[in-house]
Parts: sequence; C-alpha cells; structure tokens
Amino acid sequence: MTGAAQRVLKNGSALIFVLLALAGIVFVRSFASLENAAIIARQAAIPAIAVLGMTMVLMTGGIDLSLGFVVGLASTATGFMAKVWGFPVGVTVAATVLLGSLVGLLNGAVVQYMKVPAFITTLGTGYILYGVSQLMSAGNVITRLPPSLLAVGRTELLGLPTSVFIAVGMAGLAWFFIHRSVFGRALSAFGFNARAASLSGLRTARVNVLTYVLCSSLAALAGLLLTIRVNAAQPNMGGGAFTFEIVTAAIVGGTSLFGGIGSVIGSIFGVLIIKIIENCINLLNVSYHLYLAVQGGIILAVIVMDRLRSRAT
Amino acid sequence: MVPVLGVAAFAAVGLPIPHFLTAGNLLNVIRQSSIIGICSVGMTMVIVILGIDLSIAGLIALCPMVSGLLMLHGVPITASILTGIATGIGLGLFNGVMVSKLDVPPFITTLVVGQVAQGLALIMNNGRSIGGFPAAYVNIGNGMLLGIPISDYLMVVMMGIGIVIMQFTPTGNRIYALGGNETVVRQEGINVDRLKLFVYAFCGFCAAVAGILLSAQLDTVHPIQGDPYQLDTIAACVIGGVSLAGGEGRVALAIVGTLVIGSVRNVLDLLGVHPFFQNVLVGAIIILVVFASGVSRQRRAARA
Repeated sequence: MTGAAQRVLKNGSALIFVLLALAGIVFVRSFASLENAAIIARQAAIPAIAVLGMTMVLMTGGIDLSLGFVVGLASTATGFMAKVWGFPVGVTVAATVLLGSLVGLLNGAVVQYMKVPAFITTLGTGYILYGVSQLMSAGNVITRLPPSLLAVGRTELLGLPTSVFIAVGMAGLAWFFIHRSVFGRALSAFGFNARAASLSGLRTARVNVLTYVLCSSLAALAGLLLTIRVNAAQPNMGGGAFTFEIVTAAIVGGTSLFGGIGSVIGSIFGVLIIKIIENCINLLNVSYHLYLAVQGGIILAVIVMDRLRSRAT
Repeated sequence: MVPVLGVAAFAAVGLPIPHFLTAGNLLNVIRQSSIIGICSVGMTMVIVILGIDLSIAGLIALCPMVSGLLMLHGVPITASILTGIATGIGLGLFNGVMVSKLDVPPFITTLVVGQVAQGLALIMNNGRSIGGFPAAYVNIGNGMLLGIPISDYLMVVMMGIGIVIMQFTPTGNRIYALGGNETVVRQEGINVDRLKLFVYAFCGFCAAVAGILLSAQLDTVHPIQGDPYQLDTIAACVIGGVSLAGGEGRVALAIVGTLVIGSVRNVLDLLGVHPFFQNVLVGAIIILVVFASGVSRQRRAARA
C-alpha cells in the first residue's frame, strides 16, 4: 500500500465519507439515486478544484484566507471579458486564470519576502480583492453569458458536465505534483521545517511563492466554472463562506494544521463529505443556515480527535 | 513611533478638510470607533501572547442576537445583556481551550469558532435581522451624558480595564512575559494554560460587549453584522504598534490605532470616497504596517 493510501485510511475521511453515504441512503429519501449522485458530483467539482491549492498552502504551514475573494474577482472579470468586452472564450479562460496567478504572486511575495504572516496577508488581500471586484462591477450582476463560454463547463458527457471532468483532471495533476514530484517533496520539507529545508539547499522561497500562485490560479479556475454553472458573474460569488468551506474540506481530509502533511485524495474526500452533508440538508428541507454551523461542528470534531490522538502517541 | 506618525497624518489630513476638525465630528469619529476600540482591547492581549482572534466577527453577530431575541421575548434587559456577554465569554473560553490544551493554531480555531458563531446567529432567527428593542437598551448606544455619547464612556471604561490588567497587575506582567518567551514562563511555574484561557475569554468578552453596543446603536441585529469589524480591529492593533511577533503592545496605543482607522474612514467618507475603496485601502495599510514593523524589529535586533 502506498503512503498516500495509508494516510487516507488513517485519517479516516474515506471512512466518514462511506458512513455518511450509508446514513444518507438509509435515512434520506431520494438520496440514493443516480441523479442525486450526479448532483453531488456537480456540486463537489468546483470546491474540489479550489481545495487542491488550499491543501498545498496549508502544507507550507500557511493559509489562504483570500481564496473566496479570488473566486469573486475571477467571476467579475470573467463576466466583463466574456460579455462586456466580447473576448473569445480561450482568451477569457486564460486571462482569468492568469489574473488568479498574479494575485497568488502578490500573496506569495508578501508572505515570503515581506515576512508578513500568511493569515494577515491573505486577510488583507482578500479585503482588497473584494473591494476591487465591487468597484469593478459597480453593483451589477452580469447574467446570460455567451453560450460559447457556458459550453466550457456545461457540456454534458456521460451525464456529467465538463466541470466534473476538469476537476478530476486537476486532481490528477495535483496528485502527481504533490505526491510524485520534486516540488511535492520540497513542499513537504518546507512545511515541516522551513529552515532545515533551506539549509539543505532547497529553493524554499520559490516553492513558497509558487504554492500561493497555484492556489490562486486554481481558485480563479473555480471562480470561472462557478460563474458558468450559475450563469451569473458578480463579486459576491465565493467570499468568506467559500474560503471556510475549502479550509474545512482540506482539514477534514487530513491536512495537518502545522504544515508538512496533506493528501489530494484526502482533501477530495473532505469536499465530498461536506457536499453530502449539504445535499442531505437540502433534501431534508431543513434551514440552509444549518449548513455553516454543521460544517463548523465537523471541522471542530476532526481537529479535536486529531489533537487528542497525536497527544496519545 | 507608528502612533506618532498616525496622529501627525491625522492633523495634516484633517486641517484642509471642512467639517473634519470640529468637536461634533470628532465625537462622532470616537462614537463610530467605539466598536473597534472595544474589540481592540481584547485583541491586543491576544496578539501579545502570539495569538490572533478571527472569531470576533461571528461573536459580534451572535452575542447581540442572543440578547436581542431574549429581550424581544420579554426577558429583562440586564439579564438579556448578561446572557449575551456570557455567550461571548463561553466561546472565548472555548478558543482558549483549543489553543492551550489542544495546541491548535489560533488562526484555525478562532476561524472555525467564528464560523460556528456566525452560523448560529443565522439559524437563531432564520437569517433575518431583529430590531425594535426597548428604549433603555437603544439609549445605551445613542444616549448622551454631559454632551458626550454613552458609547464613548463605554469604550473608555473597557480601555481602562484593559490598561489596568496589562500595566498594573501580575497577570499583565505574565501576559507580556508569555508573549516574549513561553518556555521561560513555564519554567517559572506559571500556569500558562490558565493565562491563555483568560486572554481568549477576555477577548470574547470584549467582542460581546462591542456587538451588544453595536446593536444598541443601530437598534438592530443583523446576522452578519460583524464582518466589517474583523480586519479593522486587527488593523487598529498593528497600527497602534502591537507586534505580531508577540510580547509587546499597549492597549492605549491600540485605541490610538482605532482612532486613526476611524479618522481615515471618516475623512474618506467626508471626501465622498466609496466604502469599497476604503476597504481596499485598509487592506493595503494593514499589510504595509505589519511589514514595516517587521523591518524595524529586525533593525533593532541587528543593532542589539
């Protein structure tokens, strides 16, 4: 058994996922159907893309609290490019992701070279990005986007939209990047002990900055696909609640709070877990506001269990 | 150093702007700053011990929601307020337990607790705001005493409590020592866990008082009303010279930082600058100030 698989089993997110799915099948009407499974896959696709970057950032021992606001910025920018300025689809997609990388470059540079703690940097840039998106949109929501753009995320293959396949592709790439490449090794080493990694000759500055670039680029891609899914571009897409959802998924998926350890498969299970819960809350027709509190409860439970276990050993 | 620059900038910017340096407007700035000011008292202590409290936005929503709902159901005002404050202290204590007993990084636990508080504030009244509180309650936020808003007195009282704890009690000494070097403090035989519990609980207490005051000022509790205060509070502290490297920072200077932020927003309001643009500015200011204080710390370390 590979290390990654062992970690997933040990962390238990796969087990929680199976138990939750079983509970859903037994207790929630119309949960166990192919259509509903497709709905969950559809809803999990976008956070699954975003969680890949957050996992890497958490592995460095940092955090990206601006993630949800990158989603809002990407959404606003996508709307402008596709509808107002009439850019071709390819350019819109590329420019949106590039915009994300620039934000990530800013975050990474401030954290690495200006030595500002990650949570302060990204809290600050989050405010800045939200303000910029709001000023840009001037309170307007851009709807009815060009069909050519919508096709990027909505084209159906085997009953699933392309966004699901994009998510699977990204997860595959991230898995290779984190668990099978030199970059992943460096990321892990940096997260465990930045000084030791640097002394042993790793280009830690580059690794750290690149991690934020990847995180914001993936967040921008998630923002693009979210805009396509709801067919509306506006700054309020994403936001603090989305950031929290992503942090929750990563930590429930076994990413260490102290850096160094993280797993793509675990984080994807983390997303599936919270999306199954959201799905059940919807199907049971209880107040949607419950979702935030339940998410919080789950992440707390996972953190407490994890800490108690690490104390025991 | 930073606060002195702040006050200089304050005067330089304020002089050319009509209506800024008038007694009425300055009292207004102080009244509008009272929420952030009260939060910054607790936040200062938390940052001094190398922590951070990202849960205050949630608490500013949840605590008055608890008080408000109780009041609207006929519970006496004092009992309602005390319950709201107890909620804040309780969640603050929970933050403290997570940080001290379980060694969870402060930014993670307070982020989560803040979201749980936010979620509860939304659930309690199904996402709707409440309002129409008793006159005596609204008076706390809008009344005047000797021509000065009651909110200002409340901020001064909270600041006073903070200053007394930090500068004049053994607890304050230990808090500074803990931020300077935890290992040494532990070796001195001081109960570090209890100290952390106290600091986080006190920060929860401050957030609860601030939230309740805000709801009294507006005669409303909106379930997401805390959002704007989170970053401004941290900004106020770092502008006031509270070091994110721990061990140093004064409550009084954090209040000066609060007034700087309040004045900046007030000046921008008077100049007709959009609030969204103000957020862009505050976000940039906080990053630059933390950067600058890091550089000056390194210089001092290099000299020493």
